[in-house]
Amino acid sequence: MRGTVQAMAPVLSVENLSIALPDGGDRPFAVENVSFEVKPNEVVCLVGESGSGKSMIAHALLSLLPKGVAVASGTVMVAGKNPVELDRQALRRLRGGDAAMIFQEPLSSLNPLKRVGKQIEEMILTHQEPTPSASEVYDRVQQLLTQVGLPNPKLLEKSYPFELSGGQRQRVMIAMAMANRPALLIADEPTTALDVTTQRQILGLIDDLRRDRGMGVLLITHDFGVVADVADRVVVLRHGKVVEQGTVEEVLRHPKADYTRELIDAVPKARLDQINRKDVHSEPLLEVIGLQKTFRVKRGFLQPPREVVAADGISLTLHEGETLAVVGESGSGKSTLGRMILRLTEPDDGAIRFNGQDLRRLRGEALRQARKQLQIVFQDPFASLDPRQKIGDAIARGPMAFGTSRAEAMEQAKKLLMRVGLSAVAADRYPHEFSGGQRQRICIARALALKPRVLIADEAVSALDVSVQAQVLALLAELRKEMKLAMVFITHDLRIAAEIADRVIVLQKGRIVEEGATADVFIAPQATYTRDLLDAIPGRNFFDQPGFANETGKIPTARMSS
Amino acid sequence: MIRLGNAATIGLMALSRIAQLIAVILLIATFNFVLVRAAPGDPAQVMAGQSGASDPKLLEDLRKEYGLDKPYVVQLASYLGRVVKLDLGYSYRQRRPVADLVLERLPATLLLTVTAFCLALLIGTTLGALAGLAAGTVLDTVFTVLSLVLYATPVFWLGLMLVLVFSVTLGWLPPFGYETINVKLSPIERALDVAKHLIMPVTSLAAIYLAIYARLMRSSIIEVAQQDFIKTARAKGLTGPSIVFGHMLRNALVPVVTVAGMQAGALVGGAVVIETVFAWPGLGRLTFDALLQRDYPVLLGIFLILSIVVIVLNLLTDLIYKLIDPRMTTGAA
Repeated sequence: MRGTVQAMAPVLSVENLSIALPDGGDRPFAVENVSFEVKPNEVVCLVGESGSGKSMIAHALLSLLPKGVAVASGTVMVAGKNPVELDRQALRRLRGGDAAMIFQEPLSSLNPLKRVGKQIEEMILTHQEPTPSASEVYDRVQQLLTQVGLPNPKLLEKSYPFELSGGQRQRVMIAMAMANRPALLIADEPTTALDVTTQRQILGLIDDLRRDRGMGVLLITHDFGVVADVADRVVVLRHGKVVEQGTVEEVLRHPKADYTRELIDAVPKARLDQINRKDVHSEPLLEVIGLQKTFRVKRGFLQPPREVVAADGISLTLHEGETLAVVGESGSGKSTLGRMILRLTEPDDGAIRFNGQDLRRLRGEALRQARKQLQIVFQDPFASLDPRQKIGDAIARGPMAFGTSRAEAMEQAKKLLMRVGLSAVAADRYPHEFSGGQRQRICIARALALKPRVLIADEAVSALDVSVQAQVLALLAELRKEMKLAMVFITHDLRIAAEIADRVIVLQKGRIVEEGATADVFIAPQATYTRDLLDAIPGRNFFDQPGFANETGKIPTARMSS
Repeated sequence: MIRLGNAATIGLMALSRIAQLIAVILLIATFNFVLVRAAPGDPAQVMAGQSGASDPKLLEDLRKEYGLDKPYVVQLASYLGRVVKLDLGYSYRQRRPVADLVLERLPATLLLTVTAFCLALLIGTTLGALAGLAAGTVLDTVFTVLSLVLYATPVFWLGLMLVLVFSVTLGWLPPFGYETINVKLSPIERALDVAKHLIMPVTSLAAIYLAIYARLMRSSIIEVAQQDFIKTARAKGLTGPSIVFGHMLRNALVPVVTVAGMQAGALVGGAVVIETVFAWPGLGRLTFDALLQRDYPVLLGIFLILSIVVIVLNLLTDLIYKLIDPRMTTGAA
């Protein structure tokens, strides 16, 4: 029997940890003087925006730092061992034995060419001594797959990662991490790449496993909603330094640092009282009627193609100056809808009326003229700008294609850059010189250069940090008012939809399951699916927001599964 | 939904694949025919010239005898008709069936190219993998420079230099030919003799491909090493070798197999030059002679057989690709 003192000894303690960056970086340290602890059966969240050093800390715990980056000072003790001092063999025993790690993107974190069962087996075979027999290993893998709630483990074990859904892949990663009953689980943004409902399940699973095994969990996240749902204690990081730490109640309810308060404020919330329903023009600007689209994915010879319904009779209207949010999980067809409105993807059936014209009938020059008035901003600001084209060119090319002189278009581009909060000199620079948020501003400027009447924002803020997200959303709101823009705002994040939209459409498998004014949808959701989505919003109990259907009088708790 | 047994599905896939292949082969045959006829020169004249006479009557008779007086379309149709019946025609220069001529030479060419291909792939990927794993070290630099030199060396020049060093100066290896003639050898001795003759032609032919695969494998390994699942493998506490063999190699091989499959055909083409340099009695020499003599049936026969070899190689590549990468199992084409 272990003594109480020993049992309460932390599974992870980090003391004055500093991690040095290679010379020539923008700062000498990725992490400076960071100290915190994780006790058994405790969930500690490391929160911060990109560049805060939270991932660096996680990697340092298992000595997985990239080349050229090293622990400069301070000590890390993982289950009583210092990874920096261990020899190779002892370090290998620590990795995957005493402490296991899971990552953000479960697809790329699994070997694509190896059956998932084999990948879990490997974890067992590497660590357990004496080497268990084949049948013992098989039983253990089956047991692990069952524990993480995967259906039909016998079949699943033989699958390749590409055959599984995102949530299933993350469950496989967790099963692998659990294989040797680690004392500490390090989870680096484990749910960021997943849908809200899946996120909720995965967080629930991690929490259950922690309870069952008394395991310590270090969860790295940028989302205060997630923190509110699962954390016991929180460490807030900024630029590699601890800004504040404490219990979830202390930090979220009574933040001491301004930065923490800013971050909490930046979490998008429904401000339903603030949404002013202005009287809209009676004629809709954009009208979509009965849109149909089915994608057929070819399979083997003589096998029927797999059919994915992206749109099944979608109809909607959009008025001048109005923002319509289209929400749904991945695969619901929301991006396809945006692309169809722009005729980047051809619908199978239905009509798209814009300003009285049927867009689907337009060809050639008429279509080109119509397209000018419908512009789009994509999710990934890194992929949607040509890396070899100067910003000014990227913005000016559009108007130039419609006859504006180069000088005039460049002049206009500079004005637009200033309007979106950048300086005019940005025109002469290349995309890689800008941060994600700045690039998204550039993309907005590019879309606005053609003076569109409809702007489609396809997950336009999803890749950004919360504080940047708030700024970009504010910019979009201003521009909308200024230019009387009609906006279709496609997002998987209901919090964002609630913050920016006048009306909301909820999509599931290409069908509209609910439609209505934002306040109505959020306060009194009609469809079960909408309710499921709302329930899955991380931190919804904590940030008791006006309008979010809250079971009456329920005291906000910091734990999801309670 | 039609659900077929697995065996039946694979059988049907194979059948459709074969039907596709036949169509491709006929298309290639047509293209070869047009290409050869488009080249300047009249086979009747070449033949008549050789016989020492050049009167119009003889030419006329020769043309009639070999069907050269008929319109191209008719000639093409009768050619394709024969191809379908696997009849490659008759060489009026060598007075022997084309099939005999080609099949007689094919083994020597296959021996040369297959050996070169396997060696290039094996050594190239091994060196490339080592260089990739040791990226940035002296070893990497040495391998990279070496492969660049090999890559830039003309095939025929390398062949000649090898002869100069190993045959003329050192006298270690036979300078040309397939085997030593006029000696009685046991089967094992004969195999060794052929192998000895094979060393230099294979080396010259393999060099450039070896360099290509090494460079490709190097960059592929470096790329795979940065993937998230390698980080997962390290976080799992796996040993270095099990990360390399269990996770990196197979992933890194995918692009190499793609390129190797495409180049297998080019390798057969490259053999023509090498066979000429080393007097290797393969299809290369036969092609060279047939070209000079305007021996259309032989040329067409060689082209057709080579096309089939290339198609079969591509088919094999596809199969290997599917074995390596489970994501490739869909789609018949």
